[in-house]
Amino acid sequence: MAQPLVKKDDDRDDEAEYSPFLGIEKGAVLQEARVFNDPQLDARRCSQVITKLLYLLNQGETFTKVEATEVFFAVTKLFQSRDIGLRRMVYLMIKELSPSADEVIIVTSSLMKDMNSKTDMYRANAIRVLCRITDGTLLTQIERYLKQAIVDKNPVVASAALVSGIHLLQTNPEIVKRWSNEVQEAVQSRAALVQFHALALLHQIRQNDRLAVSKLVTSLTRGTVRSPLAQCLLIRYTSQVIRESAGSTQAGDRPFYDYLEGCLRHKAEMVIFEAARAITELHGVTNRELTPAITVLQLFLSSSKPVLRFAAVRTLNKVAMTHPMAVTNCNIDMESLISDQNRSIATLAITTLLKTGNESSVDRLMKQITNFMSDIADEFKIVVVEAIRSLCLKFPLKYRALMNFLSNILREEGGFEYKKAIVDSIVILIRDIPEAKESGLLHLCEFIEDCEFTYLSTQILHFLGIEGPRTSDPSKYIRYIYNRVHLENATVRASAVSTLAKFGAMVDSLKPRVFILLRRCLFDSDDEVRDRATLYLNTLGGDGSVVETDQGVKDFLFGSLDVPLVNLETSLKTYEASEEPFDINFVPKEVKSQPLAEKKAQSKKPTGLGAPPSGPASTVDAYERLLSSIPEFSNFGKLFKSSAAVELTEAETEYAVNVVKHIFDRHVVFQYNCTNTIPEQLLENVIVAVDASEAEDFIEAGSKPLRSLPYDTPGQTFLAFEKPEGVPAVGKFSNTLRFIVKEVDPTTGEAEEDGVEDEYQLEDLEVVAADYILKEQVFNFRNAWENMGPDFERVDEYGLGQRESLNEAVTAVINLLGMQPCEGTEVIASNSRSHTCLLSGVYIGNVKVLVRLSFGIDSSKEVAMKLAVRSEDGTVSDAIHEIVASG
Amino acid sequence: MGLWEAFLNWLRSLFFKQEMELSLIGLQNAGKTSLVNVIATGGYSEDMIPTVGFNMRKVTKGNVTIKLWDLGGQPRFRSMWERYCRAVSSIVYVVDAADYDNLSVSRRELHDLLSKPSLNGIPLLVLGNKIDKKEALSKEDLTEQMELKSITDREVCCFMISCKNSTNIDTVIDWLVKHSKTKN
Repeated sequence: MAQPLVKKDDDRDDEAEYSPFLGIEKGAVLQEARVFNDPQLDARRCSQVITKLLYLLNQGETFTKVEATEVFFAVTKLFQSRDIGLRRMVYLMIKELSPSADEVIIVTSSLMKDMNSKTDMYRANAIRVLCRITDGTLLTQIERYLKQAIVDKNPVVASAALVSGIHLLQTNPEIVKRWSNEVQEAVQSRAALVQFHALALLHQIRQNDRLAVSKLVTSLTRGTVRSPLAQCLLIRYTSQVIRESAGSTQAGDRPFYDYLEGCLRHKAEMVIFEAARAITELHGVTNRELTPAITVLQLFLSSSKPVLRFAAVRTLNKVAMTHPMAVTNCNIDMESLISDQNRSIATLAITTLLKTGNESSVDRLMKQITNFMSDIADEFKIVVVEAIRSLCLKFPLKYRALMNFLSNILREEGGFEYKKAIVDSIVILIRDIPEAKESGLLHLCEFIEDCEFTYLSTQILHFLGIEGPRTSDPSKYIRYIYNRVHLENATVRASAVSTLAKFGAMVDSLKPRVFILLRRCLFDSDDEVRDRATLYLNTLGGDGSVVETDQGVKDFLFGSLDVPLVNLETSLKTYEASEEPFDINFVPKEVKSQPLAEKKAQSKKPTGLGAPPSGPASTVDAYERLLSSIPEFSNFGKLFKSSAAVELTEAETEYAVNVVKHIFDRHVVFQYNCTNTIPEQLLENVIVAVDASEAEDFIEAGSKPLRSLPYDTPGQTFLAFEKPEGVPAVGKFSNTLRFIVKEVDPTTGEAEEDGVEDEYQLEDLEVVAADYILKEQVFNFRNAWENMGPDFERVDEYGLGQRESLNEAVTAVINLLGMQPCEGTEVIASNSRSHTCLLSGVYIGNVKVLVRLSFGIDSSKEVAMKLAVRSEDGTVSDAIHEIVASG
Repeated sequence: MGLWEAFLNWLRSLFFKQEMELSLIGLQNAGKTSLVNVIATGGYSEDMIPTVGFNMRKVTKGNVTIKLWDLGGQPRFRSMWERYCRAVSSIVYVVDAADYDNLSVSRRELHDLLSKPSLNGIPLLVLGNKIDKKEALSKEDLTEQMELKSITDREVCCFMISCKNSTNIDTVIDWLVKHSKTKN
């Protein structure tokens, strides 16, 4: 709503910051609010007072319950005034205050009168307020008016009703769904705003019905949606439909792509941009599809409007992560953006260039970044740091320049998030680039000498404890660590003591000196520091005899607990002090639910200090511990690989089941993660019955049913199969969920005594060759390839037949083998006729495998491939060829 | 009314304009909104929906502008009556004279309201409505039942009316107009 009281003085810039309400006080304004009760109302003055009250509320001032009630009732008396401006303020005030439900209802009748008034402004606003304060019963009374309002010829009224519908859908969906016909009519409205709001509401009404959304998009993309905003919405819904139908239409043209491409020629810039962004975000977008979108974004880069430049460069930045080659055409435009006045644009431009640039341009770019780092805000610095990190992983040879850059910015001023990003990056570089280890550790040591963040200090100390003892000269870190014991707070001191002890345990030559230092810590002022020092001295044999620390002690001190911490915590809480000591063996080892672990497995983003040494390994670790805690499976040996979770049910079905395949040398274990989404049911004796007739090599070897599966608490059931050792046996399994279902009374939560046996069909599960290969990153592929030697090299050529594109062929082979693409070779330059892709992995039995794929495509889209495999074992090299030949 | 008289009335209203504010309360279905309609337009309708909250009406009678706060009578609104009765010229309490069952509730609500210190001294007009029905109480019985005699700290008056037949509505308006004058 317009703000008539504040005068706008555009020509006087120096007073732009001045607010007429500066310094007003709540108490005084509440006194002024008494004018609402005057017998002779001064509408103008009342409006002013309401404006002040609204200002206070927006400044974060809160009214006590009594104050709010007083003001509310005083404001309701203003309904007597016929002043349009004042009535508007009254509406606003009621919305803003919205006191408790039993009081706000007092204005209902007045609002209903206004809703049917002749003044359109009254009608629109009354609808908005009424819907804000209404409850279900009242809504049925006014539903008739709202339906009329949706198709009202005044766009302001129609929009008000539609927007109210969007809000009401959250609380009273069944009522709003009845308005579909009216909303559909409103979508055809000539008024841009109405069309926009109507489309949004219509989509929300149907959002849970995939088919309906698809129909909606189909009909509207053919018709004419005039409003640019509505067009943008439609583009978003279209990409949603494309995303959801991705699985079903693999070959042929993507549905709706023509529509998106057509939108690139729309006259409104926002539509063009929305369409371009939608195209760049298409799943598995091809270069041909990408080109027109990149072209319009390139035009935006040289636009005079900063918002367009920002939008374009931000989108290109994202594209550069997946399709760096497609963005290279824009490099010249982006280089000129580095000097853009708007630092956000400059940052995004430079980070995009870092992603698309080649090794030779790194130094030049780094110089430019250094110049402008001090001008930008922390969150953009974080973006730069992340770009540098990925650049460093891409060009390991440049690590020296990049590491120097990181250590320089680490010394400068910055907030916690920024410093954490830098430290995380250095840690990742240390982990992945062995050459960078020593210099990186020293940078971190220098950082903790003057670090104001306790969290970072302790994390770095922990990391030093792991990496430091394995360096060529561990003794040089001791000084930095011991300084912490003198200079820092208790938390940091305690972790410094632990780190010292780790050095002592791992490096025998340092032991006597570490003991001296630890003994000094025995007089620390803090309990925890003293306790740790005492514990370490005693267990490591600090009583004088310098002996090699045995493995058991190391495990006890520095190994991880083999029970989940959550379970340990609950057990400790329930433990009551008694004669019987607390026994850690009684702590349950089963993990109740592992959303955390699964999330970690899905996110590809490298994790820094916060996570244990490496992301994927930790999931495997968690799985391994889980499986070994089950007696039936404990003798299967070491877990080789756990697959990502495969969904066996559609989303939003009664029971949600996904499966994780655990591969052992001679066994395969399926872990079915089940969730019961029906509150009225309790499932018992849940097991998955598997028909393995299409998997001849597998013999069922055991199972572990799930005793009970209550509502919304995930549980797991397991099934084990025996298979020939070392052979990548493949097969297809059809699954049925079997269980006893018991009715649960939702009010009491108690289940009935008797249950009924039931079953539920799940989708099929396949064990494929890729399940037997672990991805492993190799940073210098050529070195690794040469080191492996040609002893067990196998080379052969294959025809892959007609393919949609080279890209598609490469992706298919990578997925078939399930190996890690190295040095960014999974990305293919646009229009190229040939490509070489480098893969690395570990085959079951811990055999390293390297693969070099050379692809060529001819004019008729026939793809040929040369496959060269090197491994430590000839049979494995053959096996890889076999996978490709049969796949 | 002749043209001349209309003109005089208009002139009078310009110079001697007076305003009064009164609130209309009573249990649900006593006939409050109907009374407003009768006073304002003279029309009567059998079909009424319960008032959810309040209606605000301005009525001009002669040179007096009356602001009417017509409040809902359902239990959930009764606690809020007091807020709309503060500082009014008079309180009009409407009772359904033919509904014996609710008379005691009506009496209790009235006396509860009058005990509020913020409403001290505000004149009270009690209207027994629906005397068109044959079972309706007489004025004496109503005064007795409502214990109006016990109210001594303010001016109290009681009329028997029928909105349906417009009985005694003029008397009510006269009383109201008179009290707007005394107030000022």
